Amino acid sequence: MPAAAPLETAVRKLIGQPESGSFDEILLLLHAFHYANNAPYRAFCQSLGVDQMVTQWREIPCVPQAAFKHADLRSFAAAETVQTFRTSGTTGEGYGQHHFRTLDIYEAAVREGWRHAGLPSGPFLVLAPHPDEAPYSSLSHMLSTLAPREAFVAPGGDIDVARLRDVSGPVCLLGTALGFLHLIEKLGGDRLALPAGSTAMETGGYKGSGRDVSRADLYAMIENKLGLASGDIINEYGMTELSSQFYARGPHGCHHGPPWARAVVVDPVTLQDVADGGTGILLLYDAANVGSVVGIQTQDLAIKRGESFELLGRNPSALPRGCSRAADEWLTR
Amino acid sequence: MNTTARARAIAAAAEPFRPLLGPTSAADLLGWLEAELGHAEALDRWVPHGSSQSKALAPATTVHVVSGNTPHAALQSLIGGLLLGSRNLVKLPRGGLLEIDEFVARLPSELQTLVETAEELPDAWLTAAEAVNVYGSDETIARLRVRAAPGKIFIGHGHKASLGIVWEDPGFASCAGAARDASRFDQQGCLSPQVFYVRETAAGFARAYAENVAAAMDQFNRTHPRGPLTVEEKAAIANLRAAYRFRAAGDLRVALWEGGSNLDWTVIYEEDAWFTASPLNRVVFVKPLPANLPEAMGPARDQVGAVGLWPCTGELADRFAALRPSRFCPLGRMQDPPWTWHNGGVARLASLVKWVDFESTSGLTG
Repeated sequence: MPAAAPLETAVRKLIGQPESGSFDEILLLLHAFHYANNAPYRAFCQSLGVDQMVTQWREIPCVPQAAFKHADLRSFAAAETVQTFRTSGTTGEGYGQHHFRTLDIYEAAVREGWRHAGLPSGPFLVLAPHPDEAPYSSLSHMLSTLAPREAFVAPGGDIDVARLRDVSGPVCLLGTALGFLHLIEKLGGDRLALPAGSTAMETGGYKGSGRDVSRADLYAMIENKLGLASGDIINEYGMTELSSQFYARGPHGCHHGPPWARAVVVDPVTLQDVADGGTGILLLYDAANVGSVVGIQTQDLAIKRGESFELLGRNPSALPRGCSRAADEWLTR
Repeated sequence: MNTTARARAIAAAAEPFRPLLGPTSAADLLGWLEAELGHAEALDRWVPHGSSQSKALAPATTVHVVSGNTPHAALQSLIGGLLLGSRNLVKLPRGGLLEIDEFVARLPSELQTLVETAEELPDAWLTAAEAVNVYGSDETIARLRVRAAPGKIFIGHGHKASLGIVWEDPGFASCAGAARDASRFDQQGCLSPQVFYVRETAAGFARAYAENVAAAMDQFNRTHPRGPLTVEEKAAIANLRAAYRFRAAGDLRVALWEGGSNLDWTVIYEEDAWFTASPLNRVVFVKPLPANLPEAMGPARDQVGAVGLWPCTGELADRFAALRPSRFCPLGRMQDPPWTWHNGGVARLASLVKWVDFESTSGLTG
């Protein structure tokens, strides 16, 4: 039976030096660890006829994203919890919770994933709440892992446009898609051309917010208002239930993950992998999810594009959720 | 062509659509007119109206915006317009609607000239129409309400959520009907139940009812297979099944029955009484009937379409009147509304007509 500490060490090593470890091997160990220490996960596996020992990482069952709302998917003693992130929740549905025994793996995954995606190392400006204002937001924590406290330029939900106008060199603007919309609306008829070499990273959707702007339209607005090229605008795909992120460049870019995470697109009926170019449900495996479960069945549809995926988004019947919405409420408060 | 002649011609054309429309004889259609206008010939001549007389005036032109997943509703809307003698402009979904084409082809030429169809909705149609009848999403209705000029008669049939209530059924006699209600039209219509609330007349009865509904859903599916699904629809069902499969693995208050190899049907038993919207396409919830059902309906409370009852008695309809549906009917009959049904609480013919009154000089003494 693998113990937590050696597993955490192995995952830290995999994140820091992906070539040094085996994703497949570590995922099998994580599954065995979760099976032994996470009762709801074990019951789920048993209901599917999946044992503690599996031979291929694709045999590891993916827990539906909604399960984080209904079960305590914690693979360690509750008393050891150092952080809990929550999904934004919806009326009558409650919110999902993702517990952590340690945040250093999460933070390493954020930093190394960012670096692996070839994204700029700063300086940053952030259009989202700081963890002090949103302590349960995984997005805020992720952004604060990348950017220092003083980079958060929307305290109390009010974007400090002057801070954006003051930048003298290339900057990386981080925020929710809704945060960017708020900025664009706040600019009104003005433009705010960021210095050459600047980039923007947006994340989150609009569902449940009453807004609906396509990625292409949002990028066109960012290009127009902030003077960025569409190729310098990056989308981040992540979720509270994960520890790692997937990035896409430009309005039509495909999402790529870090070496310690994998995306699989499966047919909704057979749950078998679709062929390249096929559409299906997006499954994500994340070795950095040491304290919960490694496989997540998302509520998003995607097209398989080699080792990456083209995100189509939430299927129509899925419930509205998302960090972006929580931040939108905060920004309009 | 007078009203009776129109009713006969429409009934003849509608004959092949009986599985969609139910009985549609000329007498049924004239009975519908009589129920709503007070007299079957009110469109043709002066009919008594209090101390005077009245004649109903049909809208010269009626626009119908219909959706592709409920061809029966599209036919009903067009038949109402034709029965009134209105000119009918039918905005079809993209790709058209075979049932409408076939029905119109069966009409006599005099009525065919009263129907025009298109897959786009020209502004000119909305300008010309005296009445607009829209079936679609709440967003579509809101958008068209803005596009339609003020002063038009505008009737929107938006999102509705229907449900069943089983008050007492020790022998599970209603299960086959409940499964039929939830399976027909692949649950796309506003009369399709999404949740069955079952009174726990004995411990575990609601769960046993769910199991019986599942068996009945399977039986129905063998003779009436579900239609094709889009990948989004498949994903919605697969995700819901996965979520409940997870919950059922560790929670005895939840159970899941999954039918067929192609996401054919799904029955979910859940003790939590909160009204759960189905992703449709033969996915239905069974829950114990709570003490306060209107509260458990949550946001769906303002959108209740029909309530299927078992047994269906006036006393029970009164008991659940707070749900404010537009129809109480027996389980098993939810998909077979009579022509006189007030869809959305609206008299479908009466709401389209205007009236002219006539007071005779006869009897005046100067």
